[in-house]
Amino acid sequence: MSLLEVDGLTKKFGGLVAVDDFSFDVEEGEIVGLIGPNGSGKSTVFNCIMGLYDVTDGSITFNGDDITDDATHEVVNKGLSRVSQESNPIQEMPVAGNIKLFTLPNSIRSFYGGASEEEIYEYAARIDIEDKLHEMPSELPHADVRRLEIAKSLATEPELMLLDEPFAGMNQAEIAELADQIEGFREEGMTMIVVDHNMGGLMELVDRIVVLNNGDFLAEGTPEEIAENERVQEAYLAGEGL
Amino acid sequence: MSSATDRLSTATGRIDQSLQPLADVYNRLFGDYFGEMNGLQFVLIFGTAAALLTAPFWGNFGLVRAMTVAAIWAIFAMSWDIQSGYTGYISFGHSVLSGAAGYTTAMLIHNVNPELSMMITIPVSIFAALVVGLLVALPSLRLTGPYFSLITFVAVLIFYRLIPSFSQYTGGETGIQSVEVFTYAPVARYYYMVVPMLLIAVVLTLIARSNIGLILMSIRENEAAVNAAGINATKFKIFSFALSSIPMGIGGVLLVHFSGGVDPTTFIVVDRSIEMIAIAVLGGMSSILGPLGGAFFLIVLRDYILTDIANLGSSIRWTVFWALVLLVLVFARDGVFRKLWHGLDRIGGDRR
Amino acid sequence: MISAVYALIAIGFTMIFGVGGVLNLAHGALIMIGAFTYLAATSAAIPPFAGFLLAVVVTAAASYALYAGLVKYIEDNIVITFLATVVVALLLTELVIIQFGSAPSQLLPVISGTIYLEAVGTRIRYVQLLAFVVSWIAIGALWYYVTKTDEGRSILATSMSTRGAELTGVDLQKVKSRTWLIAGAFAGIAGVFIGTLQSTSPQMWLSPLALAFIIVVIGGIGSIKGSVIAAYLIGYLETASVEILGPSFQGVLSLVVLVAILLLKPNGLFGRELVHE
Repeated sequence: MSLLEVDGLTKKFGGLVAVDDFSFDVEEGEIVGLIGPNGSGKSTVFNCIMGLYDVTDGSITFNGDDITDDATHEVVNKGLSRVSQESNPIQEMPVAGNIKLFTLPNSIRSFYGGASEEEIYEYAARIDIEDKLHEMPSELPHADVRRLEIAKSLATEPELMLLDEPFAGMNQAEIAELADQIEGFREEGMTMIVVDHNMGGLMELVDRIVVLNNGDFLAEGTPEEIAENERVQEAYLAGEGL
Repeated sequence: MSSATDRLSTATGRIDQSLQPLADVYNRLFGDYFGEMNGLQFVLIFGTAAALLTAPFWGNFGLVRAMTVAAIWAIFAMSWDIQSGYTGYISFGHSVLSGAAGYTTAMLIHNVNPELSMMITIPVSIFAALVVGLLVALPSLRLTGPYFSLITFVAVLIFYRLIPSFSQYTGGETGIQSVEVFTYAPVARYYYMVVPMLLIAVVLTLIARSNIGLILMSIRENEAAVNAAGINATKFKIFSFALSSIPMGIGGVLLVHFSGGVDPTTFIVVDRSIEMIAIAVLGGMSSILGPLGGAFFLIVLRDYILTDIANLGSSIRWTVFWALVLLVLVFARDGVFRKLWHGLDRIGGDRR
Repeated sequence: MISAVYALIAIGFTMIFGVGGVLNLAHGALIMIGAFTYLAATSAAIPPFAGFLLAVVVTAAASYALYAGLVKYIEDNIVITFLATVVVALLLTELVIIQFGSAPSQLLPVISGTIYLEAVGTRIRYVQLLAFVVSWIAIGALWYYVTKTDEGRSILATSMSTRGAELTGVDLQKVKSRTWLIAGAFAGIAGVFIGTLQSTSPQMWLSPLALAFIIVVIGGIGSIKGSVIAAYLIGYLETASVEILGPSFQGVLSLVVLVAILLLKPNGLFGRELVHE
């Protein structure tokens, strides 16, 4: 049984069909790349999985558990976590506080629970921002803000991480570093789905690629197979190339 | 910093450092629960607490009476703050909660049994406030901020319109005046109000500085992040409202036993809700102690300074009052006491 | 009959909220300014019609001043704006009390006299007819303005999407100022008529404001059409609740409808989406 099974996912906004009968599976320990031209529906798929959108049709199963209609916080507590495309840290709190929020239990009786200072340090260290714990988000350089988003996601102790454009706005060196860290997560047992436009960073990283175009499933295969796939190249012609 | 503040802070810095050891004892014992303070802030907090507890001995009748009323309003303002200030879901209908408690007490006395003991009426009234709070919160907290606020405003309207409709039970416009007063002795009466108020302040501050407060505040800053953290934001929003209902109920009970009765004007009308908000915002939203300070500042200003001392006529008094409130809103929107607290931080010099 | 006047108030209120996201609670006080300006004018022996015009102009100017002098600087913070407008309203109430006393006054009708309507079997005052006619002319003029003229359309566009309007070159400040001006003029008209048909006192603004709130919520925030329809619905419900349930139950039916709308269709009959997805 796959860790994540997306079956016949369809999402309509009024008359607009953003995702149409899209299916794919993710096995435990894989890093899957989800690519497609702008507007193909990748973020919508993530939003449906995370419970931010109500699914029009289809089902999503995680670890055998149907999470199609679950609320966001329920999905997170079952072991899925997402690093958003847009960084939105809480500006009023330092980095440590932002991470701490993501370790708190969903209980109104818990006044002093959550991670200890050491544990928060650990989460930050896994993504190399442990020296920034007392800084405010507005003081951080862009790459560190993105790292904070990843640290927050790590803090929920997920089994499956959805990374939405993790490399956006980073230079070559930062991309290489981040790709290494992501590979490191896989070694620790994390399964991941990565969405990005930067094919260079993605090719080395992922085991398998799924291509989305106009809300429809287009192709699936190893990075090499996809790079040579003509239909994929055509779909991208209007946007950026591979 | 300007050179004037520099010079001030060398003097105050030294005062702060001499007090710091005392503050540090407090910090070691309670810092984790309430947050840490520097020497000057320590004096402010404990000095104020001492002043409040000893007021009947250094204040005159008018001042103590104003402070008695202020204590009740401090409870209202703090209760409003733990919910609206922290979660950012602004409630315009908090007077419904204290009103529910007050009216429950009065209606029990008036309609059921005039001899009913306070042992019974008080818990029942507080419970009524909680029930009303849940009734308002459960349907409305699914909605976004502005709509939630509208519903709370509507709750007041509904309550207010229902009172004349059932006037045989509720006493209609004139209310019910047969409730037993705690006492008419000004000193005892003062303590009846101030002691619960201080206890509530401690409890609410404790909650606000704990992880619960962190979550509530995060809801205000970024609700999506809270959900993404695996925390059910709606549950916490409802919790904050229910939590807020309880001290509102206590305040309502105190008010009804202070004035000896209920009527829509003192308890329900939206003006009262707005006063609670004004007090909290002026003092400093989202800090619990800010609203406490705000209550004493405004009520003493309105009922004592402008009335007994300045002897202004009613309309002029209100004009001055509202003009002042407007000035603070425009120029010190973070709250007077928050500014004071940060000011003490700055002129206290280095803390560690 | 008086629903048309209530529609005016609701429209003004909803326009300000729709365009700037501001809950202008001083709007009720503007009604009071309209009524008292008229009172002051007619007491000074100015003819009623001129007094009426004066009231409208003064109220519009006051509304504009409120925006330009205060709200513009604080509108980024909803709570502060809300509180500030309430405080302004309360301040104005006190100033009116100081100037005019707190007892209710009688306003000279703009047109005096009554007419007996054979068909319906009731006697109505000319002033009521005038209120109806003037309100509908105002609503019609506004409708024409926002659908046919560029200036007016920019107001409508801004209320649907501020950013979208900005991107098409709309000057937000001008649009907002115009909105406040129009809303103020409407409040002035409403003030004179409510003052004449009901009563004029420094406390007169809370009840119409509450009603305007209810109307706006039911009709839908930002929708002129919604406000008009809801105003008539509420007008009918107000009289119905008295007839069906009795005088002490006045307004209860409106509140029931309001709660129903809030729970079932929170963005009102014709309003924009403002609820969680």
